Amino acid sequence: MAIETGTGSVSPQRSRRSGITRRAVVGAALAGGTGIAALRLLGLAQAPPAVRGGGGTNWISPLNRENAQVLQLLRRATFGASGAGLERALSDGYSKTVARLVETPPAMAGDLPGGDVATRSAPIKLAQLQGWLLDKMLASPTPFAERMTMFWHGHFTSDYRKVGLQSPFVYWQNQTWRRNSLGDLRTFLYEVTIDPAMLRYLDLATSTGQSPNENYSRELMELFTMGAGSFSEADVRAAARALAGWREPKTLAMVQSQKMDPKLTPAQQAKVDPTYDTEKTGVFVPQRAHKGQLTFLGRTGSFDTRSVIDQILAQKATAPHIVRRVLADFVMPNPPDATVNRLAGGFVKSKWSIRQLMHDVFMSDEFRAAANYRSLVKQPVEFMVQALRALEAPARTATALQYSSGMGQVLFDPPDVGGWPTNASWITSNTVLARVNFVTTLVAAVKKLPASEKAHQDHLDGVLSPATAKLLSSATTDQERWTLVLASPEFQLK
Amino acid sequence: MTEQHGINQLKRRDFLRAGLVFGAGAAGLAAGYAAVPDAFARAVYAAKNNGITNDKILVMVQLAGGNDGLRTVVPLQDPKLHDYRPRLAGPSVAQALPLNADFGLNQNLKGVKKLFDAGRVAIVQGVGYPNPVFSHFESIRVWETGDPSRRSINGWLGQLAAKQYDTLGHPLTGCACGATDVPGALRDLQATMTVIQNPKNFGFTGGDPVEQAVTALYKDTPGIYGALFDTAIATAKDTIASLKTASTKYQPMAAYSDQAKLVYSSKNQLASALQLAAELIVAGTGVKLLHVTLGGFDTHYTELNRHDDLMGYFDQAVSAFFQDLDAHGMADNVLLATWSEFGRRPKENASGGTDHGAASPLLLIGSPVKGGLYGQAPNLADLDPTGNLKYSVDFRSVYQEILTSHLGADSKEVLGGGFESIPFIKPGVGVA
Repeated sequence: MAIETGTGSVSPQRSRRSGITRRAVVGAALAGGTGIAALRLLGLAQAPPAVRGGGGTNWISPLNRENAQVLQLLRRATFGASGAGLERALSDGYSKTVARLVETPPAMAGDLPGGDVATRSAPIKLAQLQGWLLDKMLASPTPFAERMTMFWHGHFTSDYRKVGLQSPFVYWQNQTWRRNSLGDLRTFLYEVTIDPAMLRYLDLATSTGQSPNENYSRELMELFTMGAGSFSEADVRAAARALAGWREPKTLAMVQSQKMDPKLTPAQQAKVDPTYDTEKTGVFVPQRAHKGQLTFLGRTGSFDTRSVIDQILAQKATAPHIVRRVLADFVMPNPPDATVNRLAGGFVKSKWSIRQLMHDVFMSDEFRAAANYRSLVKQPVEFMVQALRALEAPARTATALQYSSGMGQVLFDPPDVGGWPTNASWITSNTVLARVNFVTTLVAAVKKLPASEKAHQDHLDGVLSPATAKLLSSATTDQERWTLVLASPEFQLK
Repeated sequence: MTEQHGINQLKRRDFLRAGLVFGAGAAGLAAGYAAVPDAFARAVYAAKNNGITNDKILVMVQLAGGNDGLRTVVPLQDPKLHDYRPRLAGPSVAQALPLNADFGLNQNLKGVKKLFDAGRVAIVQGVGYPNPVFSHFESIRVWETGDPSRRSINGWLGQLAAKQYDTLGHPLTGCACGATDVPGALRDLQATMTVIQNPKNFGFTGGDPVEQAVTALYKDTPGIYGALFDTAIATAKDTIASLKTASTKYQPMAAYSDQAKLVYSSKNQLASALQLAAELIVAGTGVKLLHVTLGGFDTHYTELNRHDDLMGYFDQAVSAFFQDLDAHGMADNVLLATWSEFGRRPKENASGGTDHGAASPLLLIGSPVKGGLYGQAPNLADLDPTGNLKYSVDFRSVYQEILTSHLGADSKEVLGGGFESIPFIKPGVGVA
């Protein structure tokens, strides 16, 4: 039985490397007696069993079934689905669900209370901001745009520590990333460059044409667009000059707060400049900018912020660099050049439409290839939000915030300008322990757990390791079963 | 150890083959991460009969972001410094703690200065590598792997653990303190490392029943991450057991504080990470290679306050660490070494900060060192074409001295060759 169904899914590459034959793999599974246990548990006498042998084998991909493709899509492109959303996606089928996800523009409603008027005397509270973002991941009507907003949060990084919470900037940045999450990269890059939080985080706000600060220039090319090794130090210096000239905006609330700063004497308070800005972007000050010719990425001429971005988008390295990062988060850990270049070509041709790129990614053969099944590790926030949704416990965001640091991912606080690591980096003694502890705490805290009989089907595709299958088959309560499902290695993967 | 006897009989080559069967090969290699199941990692270690068996301990402190060498070890007499840095040079020269007529330590390194005066600090100046890169991530990789060509994947300390420590897979051979992921320097396909963010909550919230269930759950996990998952849980369990023993054997005998006044706070808790390091050392857990990180050194703006604050924070944490080890009589074998991906540009920028640079000094602290100044300070009148300081000491010379003279290791096996000798470790202390 297992021989019939299990064979197609052992990755050919793996078999060749390890010298394991399909028969050996299946034999090992049966020899352990685990195949039978899992079959009984899954009640799959007639359906394809999802059993594979232990160590050295790969997961048996169920992606030959459309339902499994839809589940994988929702796992990777959203923060998981349950209830009516899940039923709808399953009945629509794969292609229709992809189209719906990518065509739906981001829902922008739901402001952070007090976010726009944050000041030194009324700063944003970090936990409130993080909770606001988690709520969007949990309940947004446009979950794909929300997932992309999270992707861009890790790509165009800034952190609350340097930017601070005494202005709306960190909050605004998240809204700007959301608004651009499926738009065109050219517009997005311009908005990234003049985003107030970014101006502060990578120091463009204090750079001048005369004495430029290289921080933003370098990371714009190295991390955000082209990748290391595709530009010279002279290009870093040239772009630093060309990009200079921006300053941060100041809101009316910030000016008013400054005028009432108790640390200032009344005379000093009276002297506070009453001018404020209405833009939610940087303000260009021509006197601070560079004047004259520059040579940047092989072209000599006069450059401003827009033409720097145009010149970067004219480079061959740009599309593949971004596509590679997208693939490592949505498709496979180490995408081959051919895949990267094919998708990059379409991205450029679409005039840098992120929506088109993601459509092509989800419709690619690679996305649904058996070899890429469970080839990605969920980021902590994906893992936690998907667990909260599975348990229908959206109110438990505080539990998520409590454990996020131990898993290595604090929202609005990436470890450095390179953003969060991916995949294998998420698995260490400390992080796996934190994941297990989050599940333990969460399951104990939820008063009424949903029925757990189908949990391994809905959330693990019914594809279980012998160990998981064995433990689940002997678990007797909802609490035990949910703990096993959510703490299992299977649930950490996407 | 007897139960591992059977495994010990196998040859190293067999384990490498077995490792591939376990699926560590392709994925682990590509990701650059340790991915060998615990039992196999133990066996690989055990297969090496002539491993390191001494009690020497290394603590690497990463000053992440690129530490400004010219504000750490300050040139006191060079007028060029004031030309390059009209805002930054004056205060740091005026307040520096003189080491000799020409150089002084940052004014906030008071505890380090005391240790220097006691002959326990070696300063190697002008450390760098050929054709420096100015990307944080690329340069970090160079330092972590000990390979300026940026082809290697394994970390220099990861390789050391995998190739030379005969510890029977002790889970605490290598430990990243105060972190959640394995630092690149400790990474190796064949080495098992643990990561402890905070020892106080390093345990299963659900107690023994959850620990037992999870142990059974993470067994022979399939897929490219399977071995990594299983190792993570096995290592976590071993670490919990070690920490349980350690906490009963250790009381801090110094005031560690992370209440540092920083212009904006670092993401890392350096003092508590070093306290954990001290706990693991004092309790005799068998730890050999420790790694801690202090971030915030990417001082592109308002560097004057920020860098001074970071120096002060570093100084307090390191002083407490050595005070603690001294009080426990455990300082003899411990070497602490700083590293940073690069120094900073001699010329300051419009933001009152400095951009990415090249050569910078390293501090080597502890009883094993022969105190003093080593290497050659970079010449401010002779910058490279990018306006950066030229190096005089290859960073691998420093690694070589640590490996050979302190840890008693075969440095050629780790570094792939020999480098100029910088003898900052007391002669006769090393084993090799």
